[in-house]
Amino acid sequence: MIRFEDASVTYPGGVLALRDLSIEVDAGEFVVIVGLSGAGKSTLIRAVNGLVPLTSGKLQVNGREVTELSRAGMRELRSEVGMIFQGFNLVERTTVLNNVLMGRLHRVPTWRTLLGMYPKADIDIAARALGQVEIIEKAYTRASDLSGGQRQRVGIARALAQEPSIVLADEPVASLDPPTSHVVMRYLQQISRDLGITTIVNLHFLDLATAYADRIIGLRDGMLVFDGPGSACDAQVFEDIYGRSLTADDTMHKQAAL
Amino acid sequence: MTVPTVGIQAPNLPPKPRPSLFAIGGTLAAIAMTIVTARSVGFSFGGIVTNLGRKNSVIEGLLSPDWGQIWSRRSRAPFIETFQLAVLGTATGSLLSLPLALWSTRFGNPNPFTRGILRGFNNVIRSIPDLLWALLFVSAVGIGALPGLLALFFFSLAVTTKLTSDTLDGIDMGPIEAANATGANLSQMLRTAVVPQILPAYSSFVLYNFEINLRASAVLGLVGAGGIGNRIEFFRGRGEWEELWGLVFMFFLVVFVVERISVTLRRRLI
Amino acid sequence: MSVSFIPGPAPDLPPKPVDRFKWFFSLGVIGLVVWSALSIDLKWSRLLEAPGDLWTQLRLMFSQMELSEVPDLVAAMWESISIAWMGTLIAVLFAVPLSFLAAENLVGRPVAWVTRQILNILRAVPDVILALAFIPLFGLTPMAGVMAIGVGSIGTLGKLFYEIIEGVQRGPIEAADAVGATRAQRLRWGVIPQVTPELASFSLYRFEVNIRASAVMGLVGAGGIGSDLAQSLRFKDYGSAGLGLIIVVLGTIMVDTVSGAVRHRIVAGSSRQEEDEEDESLGLPPGLAGDVLPL
Repeated sequence: MIRFEDASVTYPGGVLALRDLSIEVDAGEFVVIVGLSGAGKSTLIRAVNGLVPLTSGKLQVNGREVTELSRAGMRELRSEVGMIFQGFNLVERTTVLNNVLMGRLHRVPTWRTLLGMYPKADIDIAARALGQVEIIEKAYTRASDLSGGQRQRVGIARALAQEPSIVLADEPVASLDPPTSHVVMRYLQQISRDLGITTIVNLHFLDLATAYADRIIGLRDGMLVFDGPGSACDAQVFEDIYGRSLTADDTMHKQAAL
Repeated sequence: MTVPTVGIQAPNLPPKPRPSLFAIGGTLAAIAMTIVTARSVGFSFGGIVTNLGRKNSVIEGLLSPDWGQIWSRRSRAPFIETFQLAVLGTATGSLLSLPLALWSTRFGNPNPFTRGILRGFNNVIRSIPDLLWALLFVSAVGIGALPGLLALFFFSLAVTTKLTSDTLDGIDMGPIEAANATGANLSQMLRTAVVPQILPAYSSFVLYNFEINLRASAVLGLVGAGGIGNRIEFFRGRGEWEELWGLVFMFFLVVFVVERISVTLRRRLI
Repeated sequence: MSVSFIPGPAPDLPPKPVDRFKWFFSLGVIGLVVWSALSIDLKWSRLLEAPGDLWTQLRLMFSQMELSEVPDLVAAMWESISIAWMGTLIAVLFAVPLSFLAAENLVGRPVAWVTRQILNILRAVPDVILALAFIPLFGLTPMAGVMAIGVGSIGTLGKLFYEIIEGVQRGPIEAADAVGATRAQRLRWGVIPQVTPELASFSLYRFEVNIRASAVMGLVGAGGIGSDLAQSLRFKDYGSAGLGLIIVVLGTIMVDTVSGAVRHRIVAGSSRQEEDEEDESLGLPPGLAGDVLPL
């Protein structure tokens, strides 16, 4: 479970990215966060695993107070939270399997990592994660030889290999074309439903958000402006979130049709 | 048969731009520098011509080198020693350069104080040339292969650390964020997110460093630090220039072959 | 409280490909290192004493310095700088014509090939060996160092120069051909104006490299501060050696700074005309890093 209480983040330089945010996400929920770029979506997601520290307020993740964690405690928390990135963040020059094994780092002794000698049990977990996103046949391919959609599947597998209770996805489809975006979104939805993983996804496109989300959270200028089921999201709500009427830029399909 | 040019009177060109102050100043400074330094070193063309034109054993030796040197038993041991010094100097120096370069980066070492110390150390060792290292170590630990190995160790450390650091400046930071997000510790992050990115370039630098070391190890012996240089110094002392040039030529043939191999390998690595 | 998930046995990974090149390469390297370490004529136990010896030496070097020696050592450093300057100048004088003869866009292939081989041979011989050869001819004087640096830099400079010349735009050369220019005229008006800034910048860079070379050459007797350093260490005058070392490092850094600034200015000045050539680190001309490495 994730609980924000009056959480605020101010970046050095004075930019207010989150203002007095209070939300709760229950275990197993599939939540999509929408908002303009700069609305605080990335900050919110990165606060959950401590990549961005709160300036004030409280944040509880899986029963831990994130603001009070030691370094080791922070690593412990991060090992339970998988993360998926817009730019995939794969090591291009190494194999898919090595990239996925990165998800096991917290469980594997450091000396084994340094020598690249992962225990069989951890390699098995990586194989299952690759199987889950149906890309196991590419295990020994270099990441640089994959297409964008395949890379993001490897990114999901890396997060899954952590055996996480929470997965954070920061604009996971922003670098992909529409059909591939749907494939990736379906994988995310599937891991949430089949494996009961709490999933928070940042999206720019509204049609994609309503198609997949159980619950939508709308941010504007770092403030919560909407929180409800996807079905309750009508044009009026979107105007609140975006501060203007919908345009073709805001939906993937209309934009793709242009 | 020239065609008359257009018009009768040549039109006025715009005023000719003056050469920049920088160009004038630079040229004058270069001339002044040349005059001053020429006096400082006692430069004279006449001197060069007479000194080079005189009958002398150096150039005679160069024209009829003793090719038998490579097979001479007394040259073989220093030859092998030179090669061993280059191998060991490269292996030790470049092995340590990887962590040194990693710990000198912002992401590899969050502590600004130790980072500053390491960077300062890198800069100092880089400003000392190979032969000077050799001289310092000969003076400190006596003559032989040991000062040669120590000299090549520091020299390799300086060269490979510099090249690797430059590569580290340009790596993709995405995997680092990803590794940190999985809860990896610092060394795990460096091993899995950074090292694979630079490994091909790093291996290539190590080979390149080996090439330089092989050449450098030829001269280390001139100050008593082991290898083929001892033998060169020996021939020089006795004025045996045929033998000296024979040895030098054979050595550079070896260097040339090693370089070809190394360049081929480097191309496969990148 | 992580979820043990994805039920069922682990799926099979595809067969792991074997990179034979990597395998042989690693094995070869390890073999070489082990062989060298075992067979080199060296008492490894001495290595343990080395740090202590080194510490003693450094302490002696930096605790017995006498400031009264500074002027003499600065003069010696100046001699090293002079050797580097005059040597570089000689090298440039020879490298420019040779580089024209090695550029395939100016002369025929056979001529270029032969010239390049000459440059390659000159490049292979280390400056210190050349210094050894010139000392019997010029005596233990700075001129031996000047000659060694001069001859030793021709190869590298020539190679860099012809690479620049081959990189010039074809337009001006064709224009010169089109108006019926002779070979010399083509060179003067089609090529030289294009390459002068880069040639100057390279030469200065080589001057910086040569300062280190000339400091080193003194160690075998070819003049400059290296001779003083070698003498001091040989006769165990450690204080003087320490002071000399400091002056070498400071002098080198100072010349580097000035020369680097001038190079920056030269490259910036020429790139204002051709905007595509963005000057990178230190105003070094592109493609330099791989070949001549500043120490």
